[in-house]
Amino acid sequence: MASLARGATVWRWTVIIVAAVYFLLPLWAALRFAGISAFGSVISEPGFTSSLALSVRLAVITTLITIALMLPTTVYVHLRLPKLRRLMEGITILPIVIPPVVLIVGVLAIAPGFLKGTSWLLALAYVVLAMPFTYRALDAGLRALDLKTIVEASNSLGAGWLSTLWRVLLPNLRTALLSATVLCVALVLGEFTMASLDLYQTFPVWIYVNSQTSGQVSVAASLLALFVTWIFLLGITVLGTRQSRKTGGGAVTLFTVARTDTRGD
Amino acid sequence: MDQAVQTPGPLAGPGVPGSGAGAAPGAPGRLSATHLLRGLRRALGVIPFGLYVAFFLLAPMVAVAIGAFQDNNGNFTLSNVHAATHGIYLHGFWQSILLSVISAVLPGILGLILAYAIVRSEGGNLLRQIAITAAGVFANFGGVPLAFIFIATIGSSGLVNQWLTSLGFDPYNHGFTLYSLLGVVIVYLYFQIPLMVLVILPALEGLRPAWREAAENLGARSWDYWRYVGGPVLLPSFLGCVLLLFGSALSAYATAEALTNGTIPLTAIQIGSFLNGNVIAGQENIGKALGLGMVVIIAVAMLLYVAMQRRAAKWLR
Amino acid sequence: MTTNTARDAAAAATGQAGHGAGTSVRLQDLTRSFGATRALDGLSIDMAPGELVALLGPSGCGKTTALRIVAGFETADVGTVLVDGKDISSVPASRRDMGMVFQAYSLFPNMSALDNVAFGLRMRKIGASQRRQRAGDLLDMVGLAPQVRQYPHQLSGGQQQRVALARALAVEPRVLLLDEPLSALDAKVRLQLREQIRTLQQRLGTTTLFVTHDQEEALSMADRVGVMRQGRLEQIAEPDELYTDPATAFVAEFVGVMNRIPGELQPGGQVTALGSTVPVRGHPPDETAVDVLVRPEGLAMEVVENGNGIVTTRTFLGSVTRVSVQLSGDVAVQVDRPSAESAALAPGASVSVSLPAAQPVLVASRQVS
Repeated sequence: MASLARGATVWRWTVIIVAAVYFLLPLWAALRFAGISAFGSVISEPGFTSSLALSVRLAVITTLITIALMLPTTVYVHLRLPKLRRLMEGITILPIVIPPVVLIVGVLAIAPGFLKGTSWLLALAYVVLAMPFTYRALDAGLRALDLKTIVEASNSLGAGWLSTLWRVLLPNLRTALLSATVLCVALVLGEFTMASLDLYQTFPVWIYVNSQTSGQVSVAASLLALFVTWIFLLGITVLGTRQSRKTGGGAVTLFTVARTDTRGD
Repeated sequence: MDQAVQTPGPLAGPGVPGSGAGAAPGAPGRLSATHLLRGLRRALGVIPFGLYVAFFLLAPMVAVAIGAFQDNNGNFTLSNVHAATHGIYLHGFWQSILLSVISAVLPGILGLILAYAIVRSEGGNLLRQIAITAAGVFANFGGVPLAFIFIATIGSSGLVNQWLTSLGFDPYNHGFTLYSLLGVVIVYLYFQIPLMVLVILPALEGLRPAWREAAENLGARSWDYWRYVGGPVLLPSFLGCVLLLFGSALSAYATAEALTNGTIPLTAIQIGSFLNGNVIAGQENIGKALGLGMVVIIAVAMLLYVAMQRRAAKWLR
Repeated sequence: MTTNTARDAAAAATGQAGHGAGTSVRLQDLTRSFGATRALDGLSIDMAPGELVALLGPSGCGKTTALRIVAGFETADVGTVLVDGKDISSVPASRRDMGMVFQAYSLFPNMSALDNVAFGLRMRKIGASQRRQRAGDLLDMVGLAPQVRQYPHQLSGGQQQRVALARALAVEPRVLLLDEPLSALDAKVRLQLREQIRTLQQRLGTTTLFVTHDQEEALSMADRVGVMRQGRLEQIAEPDELYTDPATAFVAEFVGVMNRIPGELQPGGQVTALGSTVPVRGHPPDETAVDVLVRPEGLAMEVVENGNGIVTTRTFLGSVTRVSVQLSGDVAVQVDRPSAESAALAPGASVSVSLPAAQPVLVASRQVS
């Protein structure tokens, strides 16, 4: 029976190693293809700075709007309208069902004149794309708190609504907010479809367009873009784990009662 | 994924509830005026969100849906729908569906195998953590950057191709090309497999060891266990995820565009070309009809997905 | 297989074990280590046919490991398991013909209660209608006839465990193994199920190994109880013997309530505590400063002025009243008295507590609190 177990182990590790090769090989190949010099010249390519600046600007605007819209709504629904949660989840799945390529067609069709032709339209449309993930991140964060109890405890100790939101909820939602922010930013920085069809040269669009002239620079820029996303996501994972370990262990004094059983759903 | 950076974890785990069909919050039967007023006041808090969704999600969709049935003068017509379901557009639909099915089932199976290997190996928690983080990261690699990275790998002047050629075998001489449906599938695997792993891992871990042991204790061998217990329990999650992968592949635009430059008829690309102006004037609404068709297909897939996940959640509690 | 239903019915009617000769099980020198920890250290138990043996002990004592070795889910490093005299160590778990009930959530979620119970029969290639018949009978036996079509997630914890029991018994196993089956249930359900398991087991005459950390459970259900600690068997005996004649201090304190009173070991097998000297039972430790172990009902107590203790609390337990006494020297004991004689034992009363003369007592190393 021991040999059976050993055979299985060999097979398992083979699968994992083959998978690792499949996923890492292209990255390495791209690195070799681009060559070190390409990384240097990426920055000096025409359009690099302007497209990156546009992407960053859009990312910031989108994130701010998304959070400003989703945070109060999610908290409100959790607190006051729990029956709407199902509906909320349904609505936030819609952007998955409606592909960006179709969405941009619709958006361009109904956009009022003063918005059309500005990058604001794109940012507002991005908020729709970001909705599902933002909602999910905030929802998960809120579910880990015993929201009703915390708010009631805070109110019973004399804090008004604004105080409660600012001093009680926000600190506890730090990880969720960070998650949501990073997802928003990563989404906007990587979005190609709607930007290109709305005729805006964001960073991904620039990479594509620029590939006609210099394939190596485009590959280098692609690697950079992927690397940055990777750092972002790694960052949330690390920060998130540290944060939850901190609050799981030594709870802030006001909330020890509410947090003794944080087992989420 | 190309068009959206998707972290599949929160969205695609078992137990994603909520169907798109919005049921009104179950208010008690009494419809007194005070009740209505109170209900309205409570709803105030979600008005900003509601308005935003109405303007930037529902309105565009309605515009597309209506436009699909309008001709250039705004009159009702079925000609757009007719064009969308014939000729090159029909061909595009078939290609897209074929591509999406392959790009869903193949990574589905491969992802399941990989996830199973991860779950059963003795790397313990560390391996699992690494695997999840890696999967989360790779599931978000997509779009234009991914296309270029693969061009650098198996494109005609890519590294692997050069290496194979130096060994005497040039795949491009034998009919292989990255810039084809096959090539697109290969590239899609790169983010579809991790997505599958992320979704199926919790489901695999939800298979309690007690079930396996109880089955063994009652006389089942490995095959019996998988056939009667493990397989059936895992099936809804597996099917659900395959549906998710299908939807994601169908909507994908950026990767395919970057790879094929519009040479292969795919519905998403065809819709895009209507906006790019690469079409005969006076036919813009065909693009909307195509869009409507795509949404319908994906909506059906997603409804099935939600149903599957509900099933899975019930069993894997 | 259909004759078994008739047999069971007959057995139920006559109240006798209806399963023929029964199976003997012998655990011999079982040893198992996990890394540096010794989970089992030479465990040997002889189980008679039809006997229910309970393995009792704190978590980590090895009782579950022993059970899993018998079931075939673990292998012993050293030692064998013999069933009816035959060494089954190399027999895979799926062919050992034993029925196991797990702690919780072991029912297959995708099958109804009936299909769960019938699963073992399906593995034995028994026909569909026969399977269903037998499974239905078993569910009836555990009182779940109306629930046959329900799925595990629709059943309560207690119901699930009853189905699990029926499922284990459906294959008419030679040995029944129970791994803390009641721990995950609430108190009332636990009591009901306890009786049900015991009744069923006796009726069917199945040799049973029952693992638990709840001493009340073990004492009330088992023919014999084996108390384990750190991989070793401290004592295996009938429940009342365990209580009145504990072999070691650990068993004495694990089973029932035990007082610890500081004393001095005297030469000649005697110990002095609370002002009197009594004989020592069993083997005392080497030190002279020891603790004397005495049950609450084993202490003598009188109400006197200026006694050696003050009553702190008095708890009415029915026919017996338990009195907590604070003795001089920061020692607290519990003493049981018939309730009829306890009127004067109010908190604050001064009492004198002592060891009854000439009663041998157990002695253990002094515990530093």
